[in-house]
Amino acid sequence: MHHAVIHLHGTTVRLVSSEDATTTAATGEASTESQDLSKPGPIVPELKELYWGGGSFVVFALLMRVVLYPKLKKGMKARYEGIRTAHESADAERASARAEVADYEQQLAGIKSEAARKVDVARAAVEAERADAIAKLNARLGEQRAAAKAEVEAARAAAQSQIRDAVSDVAGRAGELATGKRPSADVLNRVVNEVMAK
Amino acid sequence: MEAVSRLIMQATETGAADATAAKKANAAIGAGFAYGIAAIGPGIGIGYLVGKSVEAMARQPESAGMVRTTMFLGIAFTEALALIGFVVFILIGL
Amino acid sequence: MLAAFEFPKINAILRWKDLFSSFNKISLIAVAAALIGTIVFLLAGRKNANEAPKGVRNLAEATVEFVEDGIVMQTMGEKGLGWTPFLLSLFVFIYLCNVPGIIPILQMPATARMAIPMFLSLIVWVVYNGVGFKHQGLGYIGHTIWPPGVPAALKPLVGVIEFISNIIVRPFSLTVRLFANMLAGHILLVTFALLTEALVKAETKVYMLKPMAILPFFMLVFLTAFEVLVAFLQAYIFTILTAVYISGAMEGHGDHDHDDAHAAASH
Repeated sequence: MHHAVIHLHGTTVRLVSSEDATTTAATGEASTESQDLSKPGPIVPELKELYWGGGSFVVFALLMRVVLYPKLKKGMKARYEGIRTAHESADAERASARAEVADYEQQLAGIKSEAARKVDVARAAVEAERADAIAKLNARLGEQRAAAKAEVEAARAAAQSQIRDAVSDVAGRAGELATGKRPSADVLNRVVNEVMAK
Repeated sequence: MEAVSRLIMQATETGAADATAAKKANAAIGAGFAYGIAAIGPGIGIGYLVGKSVEAMARQPESAGMVRTTMFLGIAFTEALALIGFVVFILIGL
Repeated sequence: MLAAFEFPKINAILRWKDLFSSFNKISLIAVAAALIGTIVFLLAGRKNANEAPKGVRNLAEATVEFVEDGIVMQTMGEKGLGWTPFLLSLFVFIYLCNVPGIIPILQMPATARMAIPMFLSLIVWVVYNGVGFKHQGLGYIGHTIWPPGVPAALKPLVGVIEFISNIIVRPFSLTVRLFANMLAGHILLVTFALLTEALVKAETKVYMLKPMAILPFFMLVFLTAFEVLVAFLQAYIFTILTAVYISGAMEGHGDHDHDDAHAAASH
């Protein structure tokens, strides 16, 4: 006997393997409720289902119409309204904040330009002062340099005249020794000048 | 169909020899055919409909909501035919 | 090796013993659906509306917005917003009647019986015809039967087709769509559950048979997940079709093309 018997609400579900397909499976239990099972067709609406189901739907729909939906919707609308006003106020606040920021930026720009101007002025003053100082310094240096030059010049002239004197003296002495007579100062001067110019 | 029912008839004659069983078997076969055939057309129809809707949604994703609503409506109308077949199946088969 | 698998009688998988003589499981589910819907929306309405919604209120508001944006605005537009409570209660009630099909112990969608879908369809039928008469007066009959622009020669034929479509087929198809979808889902679940049980309990020498019960079991799990989707989808479709019908009745046979004239013609 290879078959499984399953009872479900009085009917019997049989699972029979092929070796014993001829064996009769128990169907006795099905008879107790069978008249109940085949009586209402599967698509015939049952009256108790109709009025319980319909009644509960009608009650539900009326409740929804009268109480449930309006209440919920009112709350939703109130919240949306709140959110919208909050949004609008946030927008306004943002706009005012933006204006403030713009104002602040304008001020900042003014201050910046003022500062830049001051800095420029100061820089110009410093520049002028520096140029002045440099000029003064240059002038003093020039003076000192000129003085030093003049001194050097004078010293050189003195040294030259000394050398000339010494040279003319030596040359006069040498000429005297060679010719026996002292050359005239004129000639001596000329010769010495020639030599020194070389 | 005829041949199948005759086969069943013979089988039941050799076995339980019960006319109501043969009737039941015929009804079951009829029900199977009823539902099977009723499912063909709507199957093709729904496939075509959804395929076209997907095409439309892919082409214009911004109109996807409208296409989807219309698609469900179309499916509902198409499906009704298969469901009537199913009800017939229930009525004569079970 | 399987030679026979006898399916139980359809009533055995659809009916429980009556709880009272006039109150059965379907009634229980319907009453519970209405009660749960009421309680959810009542709790949602009592919560403070001004803080961010969460929990019950979030659920209720999401449902309301789904019905408003996904159903009313898509089919009726602004002028249909007054119908939101009706459509909302339809949607919630149908969904809560569908969902017990996958809830353990209950395991029975209340809409898989004829009564509730039929009742709801009749209500919808009355509502959209009432709306038609209210908005268009007696002209509604003409608008329903003859869409504008029909040649006079075709009027008798079109009239018959449209009358059948709008007055008879619409409630019928609404009923059958919901009922048959839920019943089919229920039968599928029952089939795979029974198959699993039969394989597990099979007294057989074929030792491979019992482990094979995993296959129908996986199918059962998958179908249960699928039924979650179907429960939602059928509630949505019923509601959106109602919205379409009402909107059609409001504005006559104008530019709205959502009509099942073709479905009717092919019946």
